[in-house]
Amino acid sequence: MTDDSFSLIIIALLPFLGALVPGVMIRAGRNACAIFTALPTALALVMLLLHAPAVMDGEVIKAELDWLPQLGLSAAFFLDGLGMLFAGMILGVGLLITLYARFYLSGEDPMGQFYTYLLLFQGAMLGIVLSDNILLLLIFWELTSLSSFLLIGYWKHLPEGRQGARMALAVTGAGGLAMIGGMLILGNIVGSYNLTDILAAGEQIRAHEWYVPALVLILLGAFTKSAQFPFHFWLPHAMAAPTPVSAYLHSATMVKAGVFLMARMWPALAGTPEWFYIVASVGLITMVLGAVIALFKDDLKALLAFSTVSHLGLLTMLLGFGTEAAAIAAVFHIINHLTFKAALFMTAGIVDHEAHTRDIKRLGGLAKLMPITAVIGTITALSMAGIAPFNGFISKEKMLEEAVHTVWWENPWIVPALATLGAVFSVAYSLRFIFHVFGGKVRDDYPAKPHDPPFGMWAAPALLTVLVVLIGVMPFLAEPVVNMAATAVTGHETHAHLKLWHGLTPALYLSIIAVVGGAILLALHKPLDRAWIAAPRPEAKAIFDRLLAALAGLAQRISEGSHNGSMSRYLAIFVAATTVLGYLAWSGSAAAAPSRELLPIPPVVMVGWVLLLVATASVVICHRNRFRALVVIGVIGLIISFGFVYLSAPDLALTQISVETVTIMLLLLALHFLPKATPVESGAARRLRDGVIALAAGAGVAALAYVFMLRDVSTISGFHLANSYKGGGGTNVVNVILVDFRGYDTYGEIIVLGIAGLIIFALMEALLNGPAAAKLRNTDYSQDRSRDRHPLMMVIATRVMMPVAIMVGVYIFLRGHNQPGGGFVAGLVVSIALLMQYMASGFAWTQRRQQIEYHSMIGWGVVIAGLTGAGAWLGGKPFLTSGFDYYHFPPIEEFELATAMLFDLGVFLAVLGGVMLMLYSLSRIARYAGETVNVAPMDYDPSQDDGGEGPGKSDQTERER
Amino acid sequence: MQADLTTILPEIVIAVYAMLALLGAVYTSKDKLAPLITWATAGLFLALALWIGLGGDGAAREAFGGMFQDDAFARFAKVVILLSAAAVLVMGMGFLERHEMMKFEYPILVALSVVGMMFMVSAGDLMALYMGLELQSLSLYVIAAMRRDSLRSTEAGLKYFVLGALSSGLLLYGASLVYGYAGTTLFSGIIDAAGEGYAPLGLLFGLVFVMAGLAFKVSAVPFHMWTPDVYEGSPTPVTAFFATAPKVAAMALFARVLHDAFGGVGQDWSQVLVVLSVLSMFLGAIAAIGQRDIKRLMAYSSIAHMGYAMIGLAAGTVLGVEAMLTYMAIYVTMNIGTFAFILSMERDGRPVTEIDALRMYSRVEPGKALALLVLLFSLAGVPPMLGFFAKLGVWRAAIEADLVWLVVASAVASAIGAYYYLRIVYLMYFGEENTSALDGKNASPVLWSLLMGSALLMLVGVISLFGIDGAAATAAAALVN
Repeated sequence: MTDDSFSLIIIALLPFLGALVPGVMIRAGRNACAIFTALPTALALVMLLLHAPAVMDGEVIKAELDWLPQLGLSAAFFLDGLGMLFAGMILGVGLLITLYARFYLSGEDPMGQFYTYLLLFQGAMLGIVLSDNILLLLIFWELTSLSSFLLIGYWKHLPEGRQGARMALAVTGAGGLAMIGGMLILGNIVGSYNLTDILAAGEQIRAHEWYVPALVLILLGAFTKSAQFPFHFWLPHAMAAPTPVSAYLHSATMVKAGVFLMARMWPALAGTPEWFYIVASVGLITMVLGAVIALFKDDLKALLAFSTVSHLGLLTMLLGFGTEAAAIAAVFHIINHLTFKAALFMTAGIVDHEAHTRDIKRLGGLAKLMPITAVIGTITALSMAGIAPFNGFISKEKMLEEAVHTVWWENPWIVPALATLGAVFSVAYSLRFIFHVFGGKVRDDYPAKPHDPPFGMWAAPALLTVLVVLIGVMPFLAEPVVNMAATAVTGHETHAHLKLWHGLTPALYLSIIAVVGGAILLALHKPLDRAWIAAPRPEAKAIFDRLLAALAGLAQRISEGSHNGSMSRYLAIFVAATTVLGYLAWSGSAAAAPSRELLPIPPVVMVGWVLLLVATASVVICHRNRFRALVVIGVIGLIISFGFVYLSAPDLALTQISVETVTIMLLLLALHFLPKATPVESGAARRLRDGVIALAAGAGVAALAYVFMLRDVSTISGFHLANSYKGGGGTNVVNVILVDFRGYDTYGEIIVLGIAGLIIFALMEALLNGPAAAKLRNTDYSQDRSRDRHPLMMVIATRVMMPVAIMVGVYIFLRGHNQPGGGFVAGLVVSIALLMQYMASGFAWTQRRQQIEYHSMIGWGVVIAGLTGAGAWLGGKPFLTSGFDYYHFPPIEEFELATAMLFDLGVFLAVLGGVMLMLYSLSRIARYAGETVNVAPMDYDPSQDDGGEGPGKSDQTERER
Repeated sequence: MQADLTTILPEIVIAVYAMLALLGAVYTSKDKLAPLITWATAGLFLALALWIGLGGDGAAREAFGGMFQDDAFARFAKVVILLSAAAVLVMGMGFLERHEMMKFEYPILVALSVVGMMFMVSAGDLMALYMGLELQSLSLYVIAAMRRDSLRSTEAGLKYFVLGALSSGLLLYGASLVYGYAGTTLFSGIIDAAGEGYAPLGLLFGLVFVMAGLAFKVSAVPFHMWTPDVYEGSPTPVTAFFATAPKVAAMALFARVLHDAFGGVGQDWSQVLVVLSVLSMFLGAIAAIGQRDIKRLMAYSSIAHMGYAMIGLAAGTVLGVEAMLTYMAIYVTMNIGTFAFILSMERDGRPVTEIDALRMYSRVEPGKALALLVLLFSLAGVPPMLGFFAKLGVWRAAIEADLVWLVVASAVASAIGAYYYLRIVYLMYFGEENTSALDGKNASPVLWSLLMGSALLMLVGVISLFGIDGAAATAAAALVN
């Protein structure tokens, strides 16, 4: 690394390092604090100026440190003419502001904090103008937003300060984020994030299809930062900040960052019609609008703020013209604007400080009371008005000259006319500043007695005023600096010719019109002001606030619309989104041609299908009546079981029908404790919406199934069919899969089933010991209870069926391995047999006859299955490997014994225990709900008929607990 | 078998620990043991994070025939998961104790869900994927509804469970379609069946439904509906947990499935991801504006952040995965800090979550306000905070993958989103005077140091990203090939 580049990095870092000091130094007094702020700034300025000769010769100094290269970032800095100009301005004005603020701020203000923020901000600005990497530039860019936020909000007690800080941050922050997008596109087009590379690739960028988006995004950042129309409103509101801040941020530095960026990007982006029409038009509008509003502001700082907006518009317009001469004029005006505007802000601050008001209507006649301030204010305001022989005159001449040459949409006079209009108003408000503040009679009602401030306070603006005069009278002095910067802007050497007198050019005539017109406007100010106040005009801040409120309202509606807490809406969104995704997948890929024929539809299937449809529709229609819905659901389950039978899958049919029966029975039990009907909660529109979504999703699933069934797919059925007998010793493939091939799964499943049963039990236990039990007990259920709850016929029938059903269970269990059946189905069948007893004779009666605890049944089931699996280890085989062999004990035929059967026993026990435990848990509620416990198995037992008492017999009841 | 068990030893350790702790606490003094278990769990997480992160030779290993993958990618995600879970556990303790919600099951459930997450990021098979996912989800369902006496908490848990079950069903449907087509559940087999270019129809459907299920877990729009309700309804420590480790796990699993199983058909999933990502970013940014509750706001914020992270995934490149991992690591750090702050928000000893309560907070506690300012700027992605570098990374990856307009859209979304973060900053520093200010000086040392620490990271991290990007690059290279 050369000395030059090392010093460049030091320059960039100095303010940040320096920022650490003042906050600590404040104990040492305000002077020490100010000095320690000035020191790093001065040091950086000196180091910068040492590079000046080289840079003026066209040299570009570079420095680069590696920093997160994988993100395209590097701490790369470069110093060319433009960077030199801006860096000089930032540091130079920074020094003056440090001095001024020392005297401006009062003893109570936390000065150390102020200087820290100031240095932070200064460092960020310096970073922007020195960055050679656009991502690095972005980082500094946002850092200025941040630190300016802190500076603007420095006086927290003022409500306007709050508003201003918020708006400034919202507008510039958002603009900066949008700019990131633009910068990334730019980097993508060029293939490098280095500014030097990007500036060299202008042709390539302008020809690229992404040029316009990149341009728009980058300009968004620049316009928001430089307060260009329609973002011009934030700047005046940020003026509630202390005056040193306004002078620094809003004249010299931050607002110029946007202009700097446009100048920096000029070689890469300028010169296209898009650039011209966007940049020049926005600049022109801003210039005129700012000038007009400034005339009618009574607050000194507001007047200056809108004037700044107007001048920034002027600069933007000049850069937008895209010609070399305009660029030179822009660079020159940047310098001039800095000198007079910074001085004017400080003047306004002095007036405020001394007279304790900034309201023009309460000022006047200050020339006699504070002559030094008046001289400074008058000279600089004249320069702002563009009146010879001050520097503002020359740059305004240049601007008007460029405007005269500019054709806008085939219209040669619109730009000069509007530019002159802007100039007229600019003269008017400048003169107003002079005459209404310093001119006129001395008043006797100032809030405080004004007099000239101490030297330290007027030294800084005085120095700037000297510059204003010097450049105005001897403009050639500024030529090398202007050339240096303009060369960097345009990319090739420029030769600026700055003269006070150009001869009788059209620009001079326009200037004269402007001065005369401005004077007339000022003379008419009173009636005009009245008209202005009376006239309805859009207030940008109000519009901004309303826009924000509207956006917030919209956002709220969106979030409340989609997140109102309603489950049905969430489900609707979920299902709709899935359907759309499915459609996208369908349309995004071509299916192979169907490889299967459609089968003919036999009448039986047709009937089943129609029944299924009708039943499904019935569920939808009568789902509010829960009992009816349950019945229809039972029908659906039955038809599906029939379907399995029809498709020759007896095993599945058997399982399906048992599962169906058990679940419906359990549901029936649960229904007992629920309201009879679901209340209507949704309107017709919502039901229609849900219906449409449901139909679409259903159609989607149907289509999916249809498509897949028309095509051959590879299947794993073959393997199981081939290996079921060989490997598992069973011909019932489903059962062999369950207990052998996928024994692990089954083992897991029975555990889960058992746990589920136990959890239901545990939950009920907790529930019935809590407040729910009291509620249940206090509810009156007695009215609609049947007097014949345990009917004779049912009791007898279930008693008779019980051994049969259990026998069937055993049979199914035993044949399971080779024929449809198995432990799972057997478990279900036996539980149905037991369930029936509970239904027929009531819970308590049956419960007393129960011999085995269901809990332990589950446990034993799992243990048996587990031990069977572990038994395989004895044979040196992995867990759950099954073994089988064939035995022959006379007189029985040869039969097979497989370990799988033992495993199946475990399954059987677990299923039975699980189901029964669930039933047990549910039934327990009944007893809390006032269910009476019958002693006899049936309500009316003919065998014990003792005459006369009839069905009332069962009312010898005991009420538990 | 022996080698297999060695490979999954960290998971086994946590699982066994969780079961022992559960039994131990049940048979001894129950909730009185809760603080001890919490510390022990956090300590275990830390130890395992160190073990996984620093131990080993860095080589990729497989277990159970490829069902479990232990590679650099999984290890990166696991370290992030373990560290963030440990931080969240420790951080929530004070809150739970003060508000009498300290149940011994809480740390144990967190431990179990962490096991699930670790299996998720290591999944090499659809079944392993589902196992991990469900173990994680089931634990989360329970802790979301941990406050049984709070209507909102139980409602949140129930909603989360119903929607979660639906999404699991969808994922299973997709998985079975994939299996039906590919004939295997192993990712390595699926990728062969899918081939290059565009996936065949059956596989495509499976892919889309699996993605929908995973999108639910990362709360990507339009499968995000549960997020605001659950974030708002759950106790704040639980919300903090929701916002951190599970998001990393789900995102990593997303990357794992897409690259390991469907790496050849990138065009197919990239489009879907782009849609999910754009929707998430914009909905997250816009819907958050109207929020008055900071936990709800963080829900939308996390939706938006998942959108940004998905940009990296959508790029479908090594760089994209690397950017996504870096993003998630930074996201988690930011969220831990922010939730450390939210956990300390109290008025008269009661937890407060209204944003308006923060008015002029800078007067009450300038230090904490400044830390929150840094975190919020970082969440908004404002340079020079670390959050910006996270975004920059995914944007770079997307640009290199020619997804320029996605980057533009996301820059716009981040500009919109900045508004609500900045609104909090504005309220803290410039808000109207608050009549009922928050209590000051009530942050426990743990909360305070986590808040300050993560805020400091947001600033200092920019110097070198702590080398996270290097680890992420290795991890990404291990995944994408």
